[in-house]
Amino acid sequence: MALTGLDIFKQLPKKNCKECGVATCMAFAMSIASGKAALESCPYVSEEAKEILGAAGAPPIRLVKVGVGEKALALGDETVIFRHDKTFFHPTAFAVSVDDTLSADLLAAKIAKINDLKVERVGQELSVNLIAVVNASHDSAKYKDTIEKVTSQTDFPLVLISNNIAALEAALSVVSANRPLIYAATADNYEQVIGLAKSYNCPVVVKGNNLADTAALVEKVAPLYKELVIDTGSRTTSQVLADQTQIRRLSIKKKFRPLGYPTITFTTSDDPREEVIQAGVYIAKFASIIVVKADEKSQILPLLTWRQNVYTDPQKPIAVEAKIYEIGAVTPDSPVYICTNFALTYFAVEGEVSGSKIPGYILPVDTDGTSILTSWASGKFTADSIAEFLESSGIKSKINHTTCVIPGHTAVLSGKLKEKSGWNVLVGPEEAAGIPAFAKAHFL
Amino acid sequence: MILIGEKVNGMFKVIGKAVAEWDPRPIQDMAKQQETAGAHYLDINTGPKAEDQVKTLKWMSEVVQEVTDLPLCLDCTNLDAVEAALKILKHPGMINSCKCEQNEIDRLFPLAVEHQAAIIGLCMNNKGVPKSAEDRAAFAMELVANADAYGLPFEDLYLDPIALPVNVAQEHAVEVLETIRQIKTLSNPAPRTVIGLSNVSQRTPHRPIINRTFAIMAMAAGLDSAILDVLDEPLVDAIATARLIMNKDIYCDSYQKVFRQHSI
Repeated sequence: MALTGLDIFKQLPKKNCKECGVATCMAFAMSIASGKAALESCPYVSEEAKEILGAAGAPPIRLVKVGVGEKALALGDETVIFRHDKTFFHPTAFAVSVDDTLSADLLAAKIAKINDLKVERVGQELSVNLIAVVNASHDSAKYKDTIEKVTSQTDFPLVLISNNIAALEAALSVVSANRPLIYAATADNYEQVIGLAKSYNCPVVVKGNNLADTAALVEKVAPLYKELVIDTGSRTTSQVLADQTQIRRLSIKKKFRPLGYPTITFTTSDDPREEVIQAGVYIAKFASIIVVKADEKSQILPLLTWRQNVYTDPQKPIAVEAKIYEIGAVTPDSPVYICTNFALTYFAVEGEVSGSKIPGYILPVDTDGTSILTSWASGKFTADSIAEFLESSGIKSKINHTTCVIPGHTAVLSGKLKEKSGWNVLVGPEEAAGIPAFAKAHFL
Repeated sequence: MILIGEKVNGMFKVIGKAVAEWDPRPIQDMAKQQETAGAHYLDINTGPKAEDQVKTLKWMSEVVQEVTDLPLCLDCTNLDAVEAALKILKHPGMINSCKCEQNEIDRLFPLAVEHQAAIIGLCMNNKGVPKSAEDRAAFAMELVANADAYGLPFEDLYLDPIALPVNVAQEHAVEVLETIRQIKTLSNPAPRTVIGLSNVSQRTPHRPIINRTFAIMAMAAGLDSAILDVLDEPLVDAIATARLIMNKDIYCDSYQKVFRQHSI
């Protein structure tokens, strides 16, 4: 975001000496804001002012990376408060927590379970992203041993959770090459923890006791090290929601640097359903990482789905896969409906075909996710593209007839489509809502 | 877009007569009509003939507040009259206006803060209206720096780049548009902008079309509010339409009606 005239004016010496070539400091500030002058022409501007004004050009939320290789995560670097204003860029990462007090067998079982927390949805593989290893034993040898076991069984990056410096150091000696996230630097230990993070070149969480306290702590830490993730220490859903909102607003709207970092949150509920709802709030409300206890697929799958939905680009039309969809108990005699692969179009047709109680096949032609009339107007929904899809989709092997239904708004395509494909082309209703009546009239 | 209804003004014949006779009815009727038409503030101006500005402005404000809950925009160059009227406002109002002169700023900005009132800052000083956008913006910047110093929220500072009649000061209009753009870069949040819209068409035979066209161009440049003839239906329709096109209001078929029901 560009600097305002007032932001610049406040950092100027206010001598009105004219040495910059402009009549007053105020006019000079306005010249800088409009790009007509450079800060360097003022001989009296302080180094501190230069840094403040220079930093204002940086993105509002810093990009921080955790892990290396294929499973590396990029966190932060967001620019909006509501996804419809642009999009959310870097999806919330899930970290499943594991205690170092588990026996070797239980630990192995737990890691295997976490490795398996994945699902394929609309062609993408979704999974959790991190394993948070908690030093519940407070014993550094035990912690190091657990970290070794975990890393041998998984390639997820780790979050190292301990308030014991020796334990963190022991763990880092094993996994620092994989760039784990260190948790956490607090008011009491930040010099030592930041020292560790710096020497092992790993990102680190700064944890305060509330929003203001966290910001004050970041102001102390940031001059030493900048690969930070922040935790305001809040654990109730309502307070986390408030903190997350303030952090996002202050960093984006006010360019408030101490809170311009990705955030980490923790679910706390012991009720598995409540925990999912808690995490659901944090996904929608800006958390970069959520540490969960949940390790059941039934808990994780809705969260993965929700995350995928929240982080899709609202400016891109959502498309369904262009393939044969079977609605109801289809037989070789069932009718074939043609539409486009724009999700809204497809689901409108699907709902009505299903509502007609007459099983049918739906063939959404790939139109880059655009609607019937849009794709028709842009030359993507044509007799050629439909004929080609009737051929390539494999529908012929499923049915014993050659009749298809096209949308009523593109009735004009019927003649040419018949010619190109050799199929018998029925012109359906203009609106999908007419499908049940149409189906009863033609296919009962 | 904040619409400030201009019609309760002693310059208009009906109101001038009512003020002279201390007859509240025509003033109240005009206030109600403007409220129905979608005004968000009502400008209150005694007109030049009122002998006692302090007494008259206060009385006009009182009688208008008897019939409407709309906030008032106290339009008077007599600062004592503005201060007296501010004290009896039921809802935080607006001070119209303050020139970029330090003695006026030092008197009016603290008053605005005290009464949570908005204030219109004019991009001019006692020497008159500058021509270029740069000079206007310099005044704007000074008003912004003063707002910051006095703790006046930037959203309560309405900067008026001063629109002049297009028949005699044609070269000013484009500078006004540029000033509006520049004002929006002065602070974060940006100060608001306002113009006396009807001024741009003074003594031309084409007033409605000039007002309408200028309103829309100024909105595209970032105009937030205007003192205008809210009873001019095509003007309000055009403003409602401009807001749609700028994606400020969500479209619906009855958007013109909905816009008139907006409160601020």
